Parts: sequence; C-alpha cells; structure tokens
Amino acid sequence: MIYPQPKFLPGGDRFVLIEFGNEMNLELNFMAQGLASAIRESGTRGIVETAPCFASLLVHYDPDILSFGDLQREMSALIRALGPSDDIVLDSRLFYLPTLYRDPWTRECVEDYCAKIVKKEPDPEFVARINGLADVDQLVRVHSGTEYWVASLGFWPGLPFMMALDPRSVITAPKYNPPRTWTPQGTIGMGGASTAIYPVATPGGYQIFARTPVPIWDTAKRFPVFEDSIVLFRAGDRVKFVPVTLEEYRATEAQVAAGTYVYNVVEYQKFAVRNYKAWLDTFDHGKRF
Amino acid sequence: MLEVVKPGLETSIQDYPGRIGYWAQGFPPSGPMDSWSFRLANLLVGNDAGDAGLECQFVGPSLRFPRDTVIACCGADMKPTVEGAPIPMWESVAVKAGATLALSFAAAGARTYIAVAGGITTPPWLGSRSTFHKAGVGGMEGHALKAGQVVPTGAGKGKPGRRVRPEARPAIATDKRWIIEVVAGPNDDWIDEAGHKRFLETDWKLSAKSDRTGFRLEGPDWSFTAKATDKAPENGSEPSNIIDQGYPFGAINLAGQTPIILVNDGPSMGGFINPYTVPSAAFWKLAQAKPAERLRFKAVSLDEAQALRHRINTLCNDASII
Repeated sequence: MIYPQPKFLPGGDRFVLIEFGNEMNLELNFMAQGLASAIRESGTRGIVETAPCFASLLVHYDPDILSFGDLQREMSALIRALGPSDDIVLDSRLFYLPTLYRDPWTRECVEDYCAKIVKKEPDPEFVARINGLADVDQLVRVHSGTEYWVASLGFWPGLPFMMALDPRSVITAPKYNPPRTWTPQGTIGMGGASTAIYPVATPGGYQIFARTPVPIWDTAKRFPVFEDSIVLFRAGDRVKFVPVTLEEYRATEAQVAAGTYVYNVVEYQKFAVRNYKAWLDTFDHGKRF
Repeated sequence: MLEVVKPGLETSIQDYPGRIGYWAQGFPPSGPMDSWSFRLANLLVGNDAGDAGLECQFVGPSLRFPRDTVIACCGADMKPTVEGAPIPMWESVAVKAGATLALSFAAAGARTYIAVAGGITTPPWLGSRSTFHKAGVGGMEGHALKAGQVVPTGAGKGKPGRRVRPEARPAIATDKRWIIEVVAGPNDDWIDEAGHKRFLETDWKLSAKSDRTGFRLEGPDWSFTAKATDKAPENGSEPSNIIDQGYPFGAINLAGQTPIILVNDGPSMGGFINPYTVPSAAFWKLAQAKPAERLRFKAVSLDEAQALRHRINTLCNDASII
C-alpha cells in the first residue's frame, strides 16, 4: 500500500528513512525521487545527502545543525508542497546500451554455479518458463521491449536497480539461493521485478541472461560521459537495452578498449509522471510483445 | 614522506569524515572506525582533526621516516617503539631522519591510529583520501599499505611532548566485554517483544568473519511480528527480507538470522531489515572490539545518542591536549 502519510523511521543519530509505502511500484519511487529533488532545490541546511530506493528515501543529516524534530517538520512541508505524484517532473536522461542476450559468458557463469554450488535450470529458460513466455526468444523481445527506470543505485557503487516502465515487459524472478560467488562485469540480470547491470565482477543473486560491453563506471574517466561522475547512471535515468549480435558486441568491445566508443545518451528529456500515467491508459497491459 | 618497511595487517590510509556525499551512488564513507582516537592523534601533531593518517588493525606496521618529523599513536596500545626504544601512546613524539617506528600487536583493543605532522597527502579521490579497498579507490593505489611503498606527507609544524588528557581518551575495555549503544529503528516493528528482549539481554559474540564492511554477531535466533511473516511477495520469502531500502551507517542488518553491523565500508542498500542502528558515538567501541569478544547492546533514545555524539565531538578539540 501507499501510506496516507509517509513514515519517518530513525536510523541512529544521523539518518532517517522516509518510507512512502510497503510495495514495489513506480509510484512510490517517483515520490522518493520527487522528494530528493525538492530537498536539493530547497537547500535545507543540515541535510548532508539523500539516497532514494524503491519505496523510500534515506536522508543523512547533521544533528548539530538540524534536529530530528525540525527535520521531520521541514520534510513534511516539502512532501505537502510536492502535491500529488502526477505533478512530479524529473530530469531524465535516456541511455541506449548494446546488449548481447544469451551471451556465452553468463551461460558459462551459470554452468560454473551448477557444477560447483547447486544444479539449477539455465537462467534464460527458467525466467521464460515461470513468466509464461513461449521461449527464450520471447524473453529477449519482452525484456528489451521497454525503457527501464533507474529507481536507485547501490549494493555496489554504480549498480543501477531498474524497473520496466512498460507494463507489458514486467517480468519477475526469484533470487539465487545460495548466491553466486562471481558474475562477469557488464552482466544484465533480474531478481524480484528489478533489472540490474553489474558494474564490475562481483558476487550476485539475480537471474542472468545478457551482457553489455559498455562500462557503467570508470575510475579512470576514459570517456567524457564520466567527466562529472565516475558512475554512469543516477536515479531517474532511463535505460534501453538494444539487442546486438556477437559480432556487434565484439566491435563495441574493441571501441571501448581503444577509447573511441561514443556513449548513446539522450539528454533533452524530462519525465512527467502525468504523461506517463496518461500513456498507461491507452493500451492493454496484459498483451506481451 | 614515510617508507613502509612492514605493512602490518591491512594498515590503510583514512581521513575523517571520509568520502561523504556519494551514498546515493553506492560509495561508503570509509574513514577511521574509531574517529575519536584518530582525531586526537591528528591534533597531537598539529594537524587538522580530519587530516589523513593510518589505521592499523590488530598488528601494526613498521615505518621509516627519511626526514625529521613528529608522530603520534592513539587508540589500542600496540607497544610502539622508535629505533627499538618504547614511546608513549597518546603523546606526540619527535622522530629523527632515518629512524623506524615499529608497532607490535594490540593486547587490548584492536585499532591504532598513527598521525604524522603535515598529514598524508596521497591524491584525494571523490573528495577523500580514505581507502576503500573493495573498489580499489582512495589511499595508496586503492588498497592497504604494501612493503616498499613510499607514502607522501605534507609539511608539518608538530611539536613533540603534547599529550591527550587522560579523561579525554576513549576507555578501551580490557575485560573483552563491550556495552554498545543502539537506537531502535528503522525496522524495529518487524521484531516481536521476545525478540527485542533477547537482543538486548544477550552477550553477542563478535565473529571472526568481521571486517570494515560488516561486523557479524553470533547469538540466539530472532523472532518476528506479523509485519515480517505476513507481507507482499515482493518483500522476499524470509522474515528478515524487505523491499530493498537504504541502509544507515551503523545499521544492524538482519541477514536471515545473522545480525551484521554495517560499518565504514558497508553497503548502501539492500533487502534486509535493520531493527536497530549503532549511533556514531559508539563506532569507536566497535573499532576496538576483537573477534570472540562479547558485545552487549544498550538501547538509548535518539536524544541520548546525539548528546553522546556531541560529547565526543567536544573532546576532539585542542582543549583535550596538554
């Protein structure tokens, strides 16, 4: 549910978690990001930083400047001023990422997991089956048939947690149990209703079935897109996975290695919740691609 | 500058308050775990309280100083010596060019901080020199010190013979038992009354599988309210699973039945509940607790936690130096 009033949950002496509801839907994330944006614009003294997640916003504050009581009052006023979520408009860049579905590296990773940890159905077949899709071809169509909304970053620096904006592409999957000990860099996978990209090789728990050769973080700042931040995404961005062949993947990988790759980013758009909701009313959500 | 003769066990460059402002991108603050001792060490050698220094864990390093300088060691007593002669903790000491500072292991406490006049001047990364070794950033080439490295330091104006007033020092437990303050929340209402009582009345054992990412605790199982057992499927199947949320620094994160205190290099978000949070004023005790030692948690109010923080911040001041 979406709470009638957000909850202010203290996290020690310098954090508060503002929870908007207890389910995973885009509406709650729009509210969390709307509040983060309102806090930035208000310049409220004593706020150190904020971190949005699916249904909540974590606020880090300096209690020497701002008491918990004053923080609660200031945040409540900002939330009231936000109005209904329909009015929220957020800066939103769109990233096109070349993506090789059913790639050999995630397949090898799953085979290694089966051999060393526990045997399981291959991830693409498994995700297709439990979502009632005809086959892995349809999984690729459905998964690549939408823009993804970057709800938050975390778990590892720069790792985006994303949700499908098109309800016809919403699929779900349980996480690995136990988790994997390794995942190739650039792997794309999903768990719950969330899709993620692994910025570097790390352990992981998502079902994996694709890979992108494009770096999503770069401590060396080899590409201009990392000028202001070594992390490619920020909350409120959108991502479109563009299916490519192995040959195209290799060609992009070579451009990345040579430093000549040009990131495909659209930077002129804003995301208006009202327009998005109006669009949702225009088609049958149950019809898969 | 200083030369690393022996690196010790995961000795790392840290500054205070660390890499702040990047939590939304998933970067932890890093920084010294016992920032109380760390700041005092800096003040002793005439630095700003937050300047970069060294955090030593369990076994300290041996460092050679090619030029005359002033250093100070605060925190756990690792029996420091200069050219083999013992030097005091909590006091600034002159070191002659070519001399070697050697630290041994900590008998009581776990972490020692070495400040060098002028501070360590490795290049800052995202506004901080703190080492975050999991991502290989900050500090010296992103990792703990290695033998043979030469670490740059600034121009210092430290004086030897300055001491920290005994009453301004953290009291490091010698009986292997710690009382750690906790504030309830953010997810305290997921735990039932019996679970809260058990948490606060248990002597938790600090697991050997603890590091600057998380401190694991060994103890009894938890019990939950209906909130944890009767919830929407997107929360996950275990009682301690919740829709991914942001984690406060110091959160006591319940992964299945194992509580893990998320400390300086911890994750920014995830799908487990945090029934309690260790406030900043108790971090120094976590820093000084060793694996197999016992932790007892004491619930304090938000106001009490902030008052404790204020008290420590006040002590990390030149008035504490004589």
